[in-house]
Amino acid sequence: MSDILQRLSECVEAGKANASSPFPAELKGQPGADELCQQALAAGVSPTDVLERGLVPGMARIGEKFNCGDAFVPEMLLSARAMTAAMKHLRPYFASGEVKRRGVFVCCTVQGDLHDIGKNIVAMVVEGAGFEVVDLGVDCRAEKILEAVEKHPGCAVGLSALLTTTMVNMEHIVREIRARHPQTLILVGGAPVTREFCEKIGANHYSPDPQGAVLYLKSAIAAA
Amino acid sequence: MTITSRDCLGRVLRREPTDRIPVDFGGTAVTGIHVRMVELLRRHYGLDEGPVKVTEPYQMLGEVGADLREAMGIDVVGLTPRTTMFGFENRGWREFRTFWGQLVLVPEGFQSSLDGNGDLVIYPEGDRTARPSGRMPKAGFFFDTIVRQDPIDESRLDPADNLEEFTPLDERDVAHWKAQVVALEGSTSGVIANVGGTALGDIALVPGPWMKNPRGIRDVAEWYMTTAARPDYVHAIFEKQTDVAIGRLQALHAIAGELIQAVFLCGTDFGTQDSQFLSPRSFRELYLPYYRRMNDWIHRHTGWRTFKHSCGSVEPLISSFVDAGFDILNPVQVNAAKMDPQTLKDKYGERVIFWGGGADTQRILPFASPGEVEAHVLRQCEIFGKGGGFVFNTVHNVQANVPVENVAAMVRALRRANGRAA
Repeated sequence: MSDILQRLSECVEAGKANASSPFPAELKGQPGADELCQQALAAGVSPTDVLERGLVPGMARIGEKFNCGDAFVPEMLLSARAMTAAMKHLRPYFASGEVKRRGVFVCCTVQGDLHDIGKNIVAMVVEGAGFEVVDLGVDCRAEKILEAVEKHPGCAVGLSALLTTTMVNMEHIVREIRARHPQTLILVGGAPVTREFCEKIGANHYSPDPQGAVLYLKSAIAAA
Repeated sequence: MTITSRDCLGRVLRREPTDRIPVDFGGTAVTGIHVRMVELLRRHYGLDEGPVKVTEPYQMLGEVGADLREAMGIDVVGLTPRTTMFGFENRGWREFRTFWGQLVLVPEGFQSSLDGNGDLVIYPEGDRTARPSGRMPKAGFFFDTIVRQDPIDESRLDPADNLEEFTPLDERDVAHWKAQVVALEGSTSGVIANVGGTALGDIALVPGPWMKNPRGIRDVAEWYMTTAARPDYVHAIFEKQTDVAIGRLQALHAIAGELIQAVFLCGTDFGTQDSQFLSPRSFRELYLPYYRRMNDWIHRHTGWRTFKHSCGSVEPLISSFVDAGFDILNPVQVNAAKMDPQTLKDKYGERVIFWGGGADTQRILPFASPGEVEAHVLRQCEIFGKGGGFVFNTVHNVQANVPVENVAAMVRALRRANGRAA
């Protein structure tokens, strides 16, 4: 059991999505995260172990490499693709409640902003850390975010902006969320966003990188 | 006696002493001014207040005309390709009302409509029967590309599909460039050329917003993954693209010769706010050989200096940019990680001409007070201007949300730095 989970986590870290994936070259033709996840489940490994001992460690390692400058956006995206290829086999267990997740993370790029690479990477790393991610996409108004917060009580919210012209929209969104759901954890990020801006608008946490968001979510939820 | 703008830029590019720091606003699509800000600046300086032309529709950059250049002390003009990012020519101007209520002038090819969300979508080549290729959210100030990616069949991937847009200058292009050269006869401005077709893997260009039916790999995330997962595919594109690009440079040199002083070769962003999109090793393997070929051709056959734009934290890559043959770095994102101005100047000032970094557009220009802007700009000029090798520009374009008083403060500080009455 531990061997297949080890290989699964290595595939996630290396970005090997499935057998037909040409990357990385040294694993060409070998099973990827997609096949190994199916094999593990078929062999009777519990879906919780597949998630917690296969996918989560793989994403954690690539996330740490990304933070240290040993991996970059292309590698993160490839790992996320591999994780997604495996994760689809776990969806029925999430739906049935057999596999519990750490919490719900609602995320989006804010109103007026269509940039989503950063937001997508954060979403994938958070999902890879065992959270359910509700990705609302780009150009999101406060109303849409509030709907999601009401649909997922107790969720955390992640707001992203790439532009100085759109980061200011975070302030209004945070105010609207606070007015109706004052206890909601709100994380902000994106190129122009700073810790000072986060404090000014009353969000809970600013993280310059996805791993920081995961660490905050884990500690905040453990403390709750 | 004051030297001309052209002489001033030339001396800085040749690392000779000059009497001031030359200034660029509007010379390229990464050193421009948003159309809203152009209107506000024209009002501020008491210039004609008619609707401003949107000369670069993707980022909605406004025309920086001769009178505004004079008012702001701008030294550089840009030569541009025949068509814009959306594939139409800048001609046949008509009025257009923007989301923010400004009446501007757009070319006849600027064909747009509102989608179901109320966003503005724009059509490639002005063809409303084609799939739209750009979207401006109704709360936005410029367009982003709409990705039009057909499903990828690994076994049928062909680099030729990603090479469709790289072609030699045709008769219409040649006529366009010749007309620009004629228009500059007798001009004393510094000149930078935006040749087009020379950028390797620029993520803003990969989706091909000027094309009606782009083929190959056009999705942004897929392209990033391709640089790591399909290096042979990328090498095949860059190899052929470089051949074509050198042909275009050759043709441009035959038309414009040494009228051109600098050439904007590539705007591919290799930096993020805190890191890079790739390692120096990957840069040297994947990009450097092709940049080197273009730069070597230019340096062997022309007196042009070559301009590399890359946003973000690129300090770990600057030595590789130099090794690739680039002379000029832009936009010098001084608020990104490891991009401290003094460190950059000390470490690379002998090898790199800094074209940008004059004002932080992320944290200072839009949000600080005019006094803070003045102090910041004076400091930047002191650091980057010392010993030459500096063309003043903000870190990327001046955006729509900047208080006009802050831009005026920046210009005042620049005049003070240049020893002139503010």
